[in-house]
Amino acid sequence: MDTPEQAALRQVVRDFCARHTASPGVLADGVTAASTWQRLAGELGLPGLAIGERHGGMGGGLAEVAVAAQELGRVLLPVPYLSTALAGVVLGRGSQELAARLLPGLARGEVTAALAVDGQLTVRDDGPTGGALVRGQARHVLDGAEASLFLAGSPAGRLYAVRAADAAVAPAGTLDQSRTQATVTFSDATAIATGADAGRAVSLLRALLAAESAAAAQRCLEVTVGYLKTRSQFGRVIGSFQALRHRCADLAVEVTAARATAAAAIAAGPAELEVTAALAKLYCADVFWHAAAEMIQLHGGIGFTWEHQAHRYLKRAKTTQLLLGTPGELRALVGDLAGLG
Amino acid sequence: MAETTGAAQFRAEIRRWLADNLTGEFAPLVGRGGPGWEHELVAERLAWERRLGQGRLIGLGWPASDGGRGLPWSWQAIFHEEYARAGGPGRTGHMGEQLLGPALLAFGTPEQKARFLPGILSGTQVWCQGYSEPGAGSDLAAVATRAELRDGQWHLHGQKVWTSLAHIADWCFVLARTAPQARRHRGLSYLLVPMRQPGVTVRPIVQLTGTSEFNEVFFDDARTDAGAMIGAPGDGWRVAMGTLGVERGASTIGLQAGFSRQFEDVLATARRAGTIGQPDIAARITDAWIGLQVMRYTVAAIAGEPDEPGTQPGAAPDRVAPGTEPSIAKLLWATWHQRLGELAADASGPDATLAGPGYELPGAQRLLLFTRADTIYGGSNEIQRNIIAERGLGLPRG
Repeated sequence: MDTPEQAALRQVVRDFCARHTASPGVLADGVTAASTWQRLAGELGLPGLAIGERHGGMGGGLAEVAVAAQELGRVLLPVPYLSTALAGVVLGRGSQELAARLLPGLARGEVTAALAVDGQLTVRDDGPTGGALVRGQARHVLDGAEASLFLAGSPAGRLYAVRAADAAVAPAGTLDQSRTQATVTFSDATAIATGADAGRAVSLLRALLAAESAAAAQRCLEVTVGYLKTRSQFGRVIGSFQALRHRCADLAVEVTAARATAAAAIAAGPAELEVTAALAKLYCADVFWHAAAEMIQLHGGIGFTWEHQAHRYLKRAKTTQLLLGTPGELRALVGDLAGLG
Repeated sequence: MAETTGAAQFRAEIRRWLADNLTGEFAPLVGRGGPGWEHELVAERLAWERRLGQGRLIGLGWPASDGGRGLPWSWQAIFHEEYARAGGPGRTGHMGEQLLGPALLAFGTPEQKARFLPGILSGTQVWCQGYSEPGAGSDLAAVATRAELRDGQWHLHGQKVWTSLAHIADWCFVLARTAPQARRHRGLSYLLVPMRQPGVTVRPIVQLTGTSEFNEVFFDDARTDAGAMIGAPGDGWRVAMGTLGVERGASTIGLQAGFSRQFEDVLATARRAGTIGQPDIAARITDAWIGLQVMRYTVAAIAGEPDEPGTQPGAAPDRVAPGTEPSIAKLLWATWHQRLGELAADASGPDATLAGPGYELPGAQRLLLFTRADTIYGGSNEIQRNIIAERGLGLPRG
């Protein structure tokens, strides 16, 4: 449930997205990714939603970031929002000195960030005076190609801020063309301790991906239902065929459940964040995949074309399923955390 | 989510009441009864119903002016949660409290309320539901049972089926056809019929579990007085449908807590049988646990939605299938529970193929078998999907 302020935010972001996209994942004519990002930051202040007002943000929290992530996710707006907003959430809870240095730039959208958490990374931290160095390679860094700042670390450790200029960033070609990835290599890169916990950041990103997935899945269902109400075959609207109606009803059940589950992850307290975020990302990404796959099937041949929007959702769904914990990894993690062994 | 002080006090009050009362003569009732186990300890459960009535724990959400306590939904949910957590027995009064009560509150005359509500609130009158018939299952509007008004009495002829608790019920709320010439639901009326009379015959139906909790009910010139009709003749469909989603799943919260206990049993079985070491079983157990959490979140979210789309603009954005949330909840839990039944058997291994003397079935086998009914009763999965598709998504009828 949205508060009235969140409902207003949702509408503003939805209108913004409508103006800036030609179709899901595709920017409108005369609009670039850079100009969209600038307006999204300058006019709407989205990167700073969860950043305190004294650092130039809006003073909201994860719930507001989730509202924005859902609306951007509904249309697959190709901007590095999720990771940058996450950095705002994470850094606000860490070192205050560093927060004062980094948050204003993040809030203005001048700095874009990405989370580079990988078991391959090692950190040498010589304490407050000695500085820190990060070494190793992080693969599949989401929103990594555009990032000017990395929050790097190993999953069980703390996060360190590294400027992109101090790392080797290799953008990767991606299945989902609306969201970038990079392989980021740190060769004793100069780093500053943020004090923030890497595991918590991963959980928060999973919660946001869950929220985004639930919203995108709902959009897939809406578009599909709309098509079934207009497409005619055998002299009748195909939405009247029970075989198709029942599949939409099943999706409605799943999407309703996914929304509630994502909301629980966004609202989770510290004690239950890890397990709730893991199960929410697992469940919601699976629902998203199912919705996108059904979107293609129920559209028939047109759904298989490049021109149609369905494939963009399908690719985002598969990407979301496999990053930040595959279904198998998350299922095992949830089983462990819930003591089901 | 933090509870308010009042809610926390209410929770403590319920917990204390259950600890004080679900003991002594009622101790054997812990965890007994309910769907699949309705045949168990019936006399004791009837006495328990009266104890609940004395504790003013029936009709919690009903208006105080009608004898209820006017408690908000979230407090009702607390009651159901604590009740299930304490292993409170399957209710014999739920038809009266959750189906007939809301119908009386919404459509009954002051005289009817004064006549029938006290028996429900005190737990002294048991009700059963006379809707389904051999020729009217999913297609409820095809009801053929007839009722005729002669000399100030309604005379009923026909047959009802799948009538839970009919063998112990005092009264039955019946959908009957009062205007033979009117088509489908237009000719139906909602009648309250005493069960203990010569014109009513109850025959148990033996289910595939080997036990019996549903019945056939035959009306052969069964009678009820002219004042025992809720609404006007022909209003029966409106009355029956108008109360279906009223309770909005407060008791589904209780269902969740019961499911949670059953899940723990399945987990314990898998550990005991050693099947937990099989990757397939371990993954299914984790998925069942995840499903349990997903249901809990979903039921709570549905309960928090406004009653009618648009009554709180902006608060509940883009509801997926507005107005059909009870169907969504039913599909979700029925499907989950059925899978748990399958898992219960598979986690037991080959021992799940055994039965005791007299076809006495251990818990896992009962769960396996009875959950086949979950996706049929109370509106089959297919009917729920029709409701969601038509009313929630606006897809045209076939």
